[in-house]
Amino acid sequence: MTTDASAATGTTAATATASTTASTTATATADAPARYAPAHTPRLNWAEHAPEVFKAMLRLDAAARKGLDPKLLELVKIRASQINRCALCVDMHSKDALAAGESVERIVQLSAWEESEHFYTEQELAALALTEAVTVLTSGFVSDEVYERAARHFEEPELAQLIAAITVINAWNRFGVTCRLVPGHHRPGQHA
Amino acid sequence: MSRTNLLDREVGRAMSALSAAAKRGLGDPALAELVVIRASQLNHCAFCLDMHLAIAREQGVRESQSAMLGAWEEAGDVFDERERAALALTEAMTVLTEGFVPDEVYAEAARHFADAELAHLVALITAINSWNRVMVARRIPPGGYTP
Repeated sequence: MTTDASAATGTTAATATASTTASTTATATADAPARYAPAHTPRLNWAEHAPEVFKAMLRLDAAARKGLDPKLLELVKIRASQINRCALCVDMHSKDALAAGESVERIVQLSAWEESEHFYTEQELAALALTEAVTVLTSGFVSDEVYERAARHFEEPELAQLIAAITVINAWNRFGVTCRLVPGHHRPGQHA
Repeated sequence: MSRTNLLDREVGRAMSALSAAAKRGLGDPALAELVVIRASQLNHCAFCLDMHLAIAREQGVRESQSAMLGAWEEAGDVFDERERAALALTEAMTVLTEGFVPDEVYAEAARHFADAELAHLVALITAINSWNRVMVARRIPPGGYTP
């Protein structure tokens, strides 16, 4: 079981795999590794400056995942992180999902899940619709249709946990994006 | 169809701990309420607006400020530079779906807040965004809060 704790430790990012790969020959052919752009540096190591906040986030993360299927949770976390464009979170949760036995196809299709419904269960689809609605609040409320679809597939306590879990990944996304934490360094299980 | 009123007790406690730690570290209760109200406006959280307008009054936030929050950029000297930097960061962090937190918004906030203050301001904006989500998703009606 992993948490988003490395959202706090993005400062170790300078040695990205991509940077290492980028130092290869200038005469690259179609088969040679691509020359990637350098990694950016994080803006702020927020957890170091706000340790009590970090502790509360870990506590919240642990509380919100209780009672939820771990594979469903990773799908929700990846989708919210895509919408909020949190690079570190996408990296972390895609790797965690793969490590938990999720298929590459289902992860890849997440950004277009409404058009690839046959990759997912009805319950997962309801959770993804709720994830989008709760993540994009600025465009207006969580519609009755989306809420009722989720309520059809989740018992009330589980639905409350799902709402909490969507809320928590949105919180990690905000720390990751604002502090510009660097993706690429997460190893599945490192925060177990 | 009515929506669930459930919020796991430990989830609620952890969220309260998050908000409390953020506010403590920021150390500016009046500014905190400005930030919290603005985020709640953007996220359309009626419960949160009702609650934090009442808290803002308790904290001595001027009515002219509370009233102008929806148009703070055009409100002239109702807000000082530090408040404006915090409000700009609030908007950028709340509307992530339209793309990142711009360098100029972050840099302006970093000019007015030391690293530790800034980390707690980021945490506070994150915390109210979290409350907004659990309240809006469950459609908790406004008016239930008494100071």
